[in-house]
Amino acid sequence: MNFIQDILVILIAAYMAWDNGTGNQITGNWPVTIGLLVGLVMGDVTTGLVIGGTLQLMSLGVAGIGGSSVPEYGVATIVSIFLAVRTGADTGTAIAVGLPVGMLTLQLDVVLKMINNVYAHWSLKLLQNKQFNKMDGVFYLTVVTWMMKYVIPVTLVVLFGTPIVDLVLQVIPVWFTNGLQIAGGMLPVVGIGLLLRYMPVKKYMSFLIIGYVVSAYLNVPVLGIALLGAAAAYIIYSNNVQKSEELFVETEGNASEGDDFDE
Amino acid sequence: MSKLTEKDRKSMFRRWIFGAGLGYNYESQQAPAVVFAMRKALRKIYPNDEEYIEAMENHYKYFNATPQMANIILGATLAMEEKDGLKAKEAVQSLKTSLMGPLSGVGDSVFWILIPTIMGSIAGYMALQGNAMGAILWMVMYIAFYWLKMWLCKVGYESGTKLITSLGKQISSFTDAVSVMGLMVVGSLIPTVVKMITPLEFSTGDVVLSVQTEIFDKIMPALLPVGLTLLVYYLLGKKNWTPTKIILLIIVISLVGAATGILGIA
Repeated sequence: MNFIQDILVILIAAYMAWDNGTGNQITGNWPVTIGLLVGLVMGDVTTGLVIGGTLQLMSLGVAGIGGSSVPEYGVATIVSIFLAVRTGADTGTAIAVGLPVGMLTLQLDVVLKMINNVYAHWSLKLLQNKQFNKMDGVFYLTVVTWMMKYVIPVTLVVLFGTPIVDLVLQVIPVWFTNGLQIAGGMLPVVGIGLLLRYMPVKKYMSFLIIGYVVSAYLNVPVLGIALLGAAAAYIIYSNNVQKSEELFVETEGNASEGDDFDE
Repeated sequence: MSKLTEKDRKSMFRRWIFGAGLGYNYESQQAPAVVFAMRKALRKIYPNDEEYIEAMENHYKYFNATPQMANIILGATLAMEEKDGLKAKEAVQSLKTSLMGPLSGVGDSVFWILIPTIMGSIAGYMALQGNAMGAILWMVMYIAFYWLKMWLCKVGYESGTKLITSLGKQISSFTDAVSVMGLMVVGSLIPTVVKMITPLEFSTGDVVLSVQTEIFDKIMPALLPVGLTLLVYYLLGKKNWTPTKIILLIIVISLVGAATGILGIA
């Protein structure tokens, strides 16, 4: 039974690597969806959801925009749930082991993107030599290689993780696990900081403040705030369109008006 | 040169969905996936080997766009090549490069920021209580997006070159509007999702004064999370502070805070 679970967990890791790279992420590598799957496989959906939910909130806003490399919270989720169910470690300890694994996985990301470069040149060579039918094969090879990004760390944990966690549980002091739990509460700030860096904060500061006030003082839940945001967005949009149409008439078709979004 | 059928266009779409971000490399980024997606449809447009190679080589050049929005661009590209063949080579390249920036601006805001942030916090809180509904809804929603993307590809194919002029005007207005919604949601996350409290207390005689409830909370709710957000925002603007370094910094602060009793579990 354990052996089958081991295999399935590794397969989830392979699937997650593929799904997250496709144009149609169904689970993506979001902790909460992956947590549900791993929980089902490990026969403990509640643990899966609690750990997935914790890591989901911890990682809000951390996204690999434009192919950038960010800590792999999806891998952290798989590893944490696997270890929690196998060793009986509590959520905090399991995440304390899973999160570093997710951060180490980031290093593999860089290596694999360099290997992909070799595949790209190989495929170009096949094209020039008119071996068109082999080109697809090279791309499938790229996909399998990419899966290794998650398969390697998860397999290592499946093979060697349990004794390590047992050891850690015996020697780890209380203030240390408490500290990690505090860190878990603070970590969502990284994602929020990244979002703010990416968005036009200086131009639309007022909406950031409105969001804070409505939530902190009035306790409106997030969907309510999203609707309020949609209302504000609609006003901004129709105003902008009106403005740019006036501009359009004035400059007679000079469409390349300086765009103000920064990357 | 033969006309593309709806089946050819949909096959291109499905091949793009299969591999969008998977060939990612530092030199040409998503180009290998573009080549994989376009290969069969282009073969139909260029039955001549030499022409086919020339057209395909064009697609080995740098491409990077939000996978969802790239459907519009690839659809338009297909329409141009079908209409003008190799004469459109330069135009195809400039269409791709000029659209990927603005379309990704919108796409990243919607598909990487707004939806994951809103769905993530709803599904995350539900999961903490052992409720799987949020996670399931999220997956159902993304499955439904398949048809949205198919439609985007169709829009791109049907508008072709007209796309730049018709989108150009509205797209920056749209990006702005979406950012406003995003900022409002982010503003609400600071006091709800970031947890940072201090258990410190001052006692004078019988009176015990809790720093958190008697001082910080009286000033404003979530004072410490707001301060922490400002600090992280500032650090992220510095060149040598990566997200990973900031995560490590926070873990160190938490460990020190726990050991000294300055920070507590919220």
